[in-house]
Amino acid sequence: MTDATSQPIPERQKGNLFQQLELDLRLLGMIGAFVILCIGFNILTDGRFLTPRNIFNLTIQTVSVAIMACGMVFVIVNRHIDLSVGALLATTSAIMAVTQTQILPHTLGLGLGNPAIWLITLVVGLTAGTLIGAFQGWMVGYLSIPAFIVTLGGFLVWRNVAWYLTDGQTIGPLDGTFLIFGGTNGTLGETTSWLLAALAAALAIWGLWGARRAKAGHGFPVKPAWAEATLCAITAGAIFGFIWILNSYHIPKRRLERMFEARGETMPEGLEVGYGLPVSVLILITVAVVMTIIARRTRFGRYIFATGGNPDAAELSGINTRRLTVKIFALMGFLCALSAVIASARLSNHSNDIGTLDELRVIAAAVIGGTALSGGFGTIYGAILGALIMQALQSGMAMVGVDAPFQNIVVGTVLVLAVLIDIIYRKRVGAK
Amino acid sequence: MKKLGLTAVAAMLMSTAAYAQTVGVSWSNFQEERWKTDEAAIVAALDAAGAEYVSADAQSSSSKQLADVESLIAQGVDALIILAQDTQAIGPAVQAAADEGIPVIAYDRLIEDPRAFYLTFDNVEVGRMQARAVLEAQPEGNYVMIKGSPTDPNADFLRGGQQEILQEAIDSGKITIVGEAYTDGWLPANAQRNMEQILTANDNKVDAVVASNDGTAGGAVAALTAQGMEGTPVSGQDGDHAALNRVANGTQTVSVWKDARELGKAAGEVAVAMAGGASGSDVDGAGEWTSPAGTAMTAKFLAPVPVTKDNLTAVVDAGWITQDALCQGVTGGPAPCN
Amino acid sequence: MTRNPKRAAGDTPLVEMDDVSISFGGIKAVDHVSVDLYPGEVVGLLGHNGAGKSTLIKMLSGAYQKETGEIRVNGQTVDIQNPRDARALNIETIYQTLALADNLDAASNLFLGRELVTPLGLVDDSAMEAECRKIMGRLNPNFQKFNEPVSALSGGQRQSVAIARAVYFNAKVLIMDEPTAALGPHETQMVAELIQQLKADGIGIFLIDHDVHAVMELCDRASVMKNGELVGTVEIDDVTDDDLLSMIILGKKPGEEAA
Repeated sequence: MTDATSQPIPERQKGNLFQQLELDLRLLGMIGAFVILCIGFNILTDGRFLTPRNIFNLTIQTVSVAIMACGMVFVIVNRHIDLSVGALLATTSAIMAVTQTQILPHTLGLGLGNPAIWLITLVVGLTAGTLIGAFQGWMVGYLSIPAFIVTLGGFLVWRNVAWYLTDGQTIGPLDGTFLIFGGTNGTLGETTSWLLAALAAALAIWGLWGARRAKAGHGFPVKPAWAEATLCAITAGAIFGFIWILNSYHIPKRRLERMFEARGETMPEGLEVGYGLPVSVLILITVAVVMTIIARRTRFGRYIFATGGNPDAAELSGINTRRLTVKIFALMGFLCALSAVIASARLSNHSNDIGTLDELRVIAAAVIGGTALSGGFGTIYGAILGALIMQALQSGMAMVGVDAPFQNIVVGTVLVLAVLIDIIYRKRVGAK
Repeated sequence: MKKLGLTAVAAMLMSTAAYAQTVGVSWSNFQEERWKTDEAAIVAALDAAGAEYVSADAQSSSSKQLADVESLIAQGVDALIILAQDTQAIGPAVQAAADEGIPVIAYDRLIEDPRAFYLTFDNVEVGRMQARAVLEAQPEGNYVMIKGSPTDPNADFLRGGQQEILQEAIDSGKITIVGEAYTDGWLPANAQRNMEQILTANDNKVDAVVASNDGTAGGAVAALTAQGMEGTPVSGQDGDHAALNRVANGTQTVSVWKDARELGKAAGEVAVAMAGGASGSDVDGAGEWTSPAGTAMTAKFLAPVPVTKDNLTAVVDAGWITQDALCQGVTGGPAPCN
Repeated sequence: MTRNPKRAAGDTPLVEMDDVSISFGGIKAVDHVSVDLYPGEVVGLLGHNGAGKSTLIKMLSGAYQKETGEIRVNGQTVDIQNPRDARALNIETIYQTLALADNLDAASNLFLGRELVTPLGLVDDSAMEAECRKIMGRLNPNFQKFNEPVSALSGGQRQSVAIARAVYFNAKVLIMDEPTAALGPHETQMVAELIQQLKADGIGIFLIDHDVHAVMELCDRASVMKNGELVGTVEIDDVTDDDLLSMIILGKKPGEEAA
């Protein structure tokens, strides 16, 4: 072929502050809404809402729904829906509860408290969730049954498989090590949390720097150095600030005393120990990072978005959209099982009603977070923010003392309003 | 960030500076009508003691209840009254309260935790009263046991009390239990379906039904009526208006009445006492009690009242139900409907 | 235009579709049709809507599977089950609908299904954008919107993305389904020049079009279809516009008596 002159790269346009920083306006809007919400509740509760303790509670309460919302983003972006996530959570939770309290210790004779129990349970549960998800995905992809129907059926099936597995009884207490995933029972402590924060900040800055270098390497325009530095500072500040808040919530005295008693020591007078980062929140952060990388930097993620944007085009581009559907639902199933670990460990029991109505919360979180039900658009951070906003609303209203029916009326209204605002926003900026 | 720390400090100062006590109530599901009565009684008792009432409704979700309790604790309550959605899954909530030194009262439903103070009607006694009344009306024949929800420990207490009374008659062969079923969620529709199946399986050869509450009794009576068997002795509890009307009508034998106002009042009083530093065993009428699962805890049991056709006047006099509601569609029934 | 030298020399055709058929719900959409294509040749496929030309070509691009007959590429019998198989044989298609994912940018669409990856296996967006800029510089020097989803592009710009996708990966056989349908005169001219350029590079092109004039101008041969059957294949140099039109409308080859 002829000459190979590349397209000229235009000079970087000067713009306002936000354009220079290249921040996502939608993300800023959501963060803004969340902050206003929190400040509002804080005023209404005489400063009780934004205490380290309540922020600690909020993050823990959000984890289970937020993890599933990450998977739901992929499902919805790919133009499907999953109504079975709450039921799937219940089934995997039941499987794990039975595995760790009955099958492993008694049937297989490992004995209660055996250190291998939590690990085997985890593997069993996550495998079961993945397989069930893949099975539903196979029905959607290869048998061409609409996802709405497959998962509506799944909603009934898995909710009741869970019931059958446990005879409707609450199963517990769960394995002691397993409970570490529940939140309050498993936190990293102050020092480890600070170390993790430092590591995370370093990784984030390295990532930003790497992206900048890759762009520059191809001669593309990059942000001004001060903008990049500001972004790095904001990111690192947010990470350290978050850990600082979690570390500021101190373990209640009596609990601390008991911990010392359990080790046969006496507690030094006036000792104060912060909880630090809960393991469950660490898992959520890991899921968010991995899912974001999958969405943006892997072929799998690229194909999910391409298929959501135009399924025919994806198929004609040689993407195996059927297998893609199976993978997406398998991933959703895996995340349901992961949420089941956290939800059941938090209750320290498997209860028959676990995960009830979670499907609606998860879908609402994804949608509030800007995932379009028409497919093709959605972000992981949006879904997590959506879950946080929902939980803050619920928890804040409960704290203010809003009557239960009004709480749900408000949450429902917010869901619809959020989508409306999103639609208006999209129109304004052009179909982005 | 700095500001946040300051507000936290301010909040702590405020909660310690406040003189009045705050009692938090975590309801499992406020959608059920009966808890309105309990709430009014609790609020009245707290008002009388000058304490503040805050509440949260878990809407039938164990996980929401845990979040609710965490939120109530964060609001600085001095005592917690918990109507547990799930007797075991509430454990972490009790743990959190204990960590803060906040006393927990297990209201009406057992919480399997030695740190909780269990306040309820004597459910075993309720079961005894149910069986006693039915056995009196029908000393021999085929019995059906309609039990409560499998997730509610009360269901098994009731069943246990019923068994104590019936055991002798069973041993002597006078009565035979031909059917027994749990009722998921205590739902009348489930009780009706179970009753229909038991009737079918036994060719309608059923002489008495020991149902564990009025809702399930209503389901059982509906199933019996469909087979023209109304008037078969049926037990119940709660003093539901519809059930009392059935007692007046002769289609239900007994409704064991646990006056929710008594329970609510007692809960409010115990909460205030314990918030003030009293231990559970200091409470008047409280004693050591061991749960079926083997948890030793402090508990107080109130005595219920069996309402039969002989003492219907009492519920009207207590203002629990109007005479019109009680006697609706009843002609020539027992007092006061005659 | 001179006759194709390879064909004149009796070489093996680049593509032969031999006696292929497919039916949908009992209706023969393509009924025992045979066409062939030589390197550096443009073969026009003409016919009314529903004549079966798009369906015929979709069996070559892998969107449909033939029921009977044989497809040979360079004389070798091949089995094309899906678009991936076709791509593996260097058969590229520009669909009438363009088949672009509207929510992705030009580079992502260009490399869709064949992304460039970093050594870690992650998608290398910067490298893809650089490559995209290179090929667009050749195809459509006015193209600038590299960082916007293709839904924000004009019809011509979208078309050039679709074309870029087909030519970037060293196509041997190019299928163009009405490539100028959505374009203005200037852009149409650009496509015509591109076709000449690709032809000179030795690529064989199937060009599906309604427009007899475009076919007369761009093609070496034309195959006309009607009601799923092949009416005939003619040398463009041997026929007039009217001959082609009568083939399309009457279903008769020139020289045959109209019924």
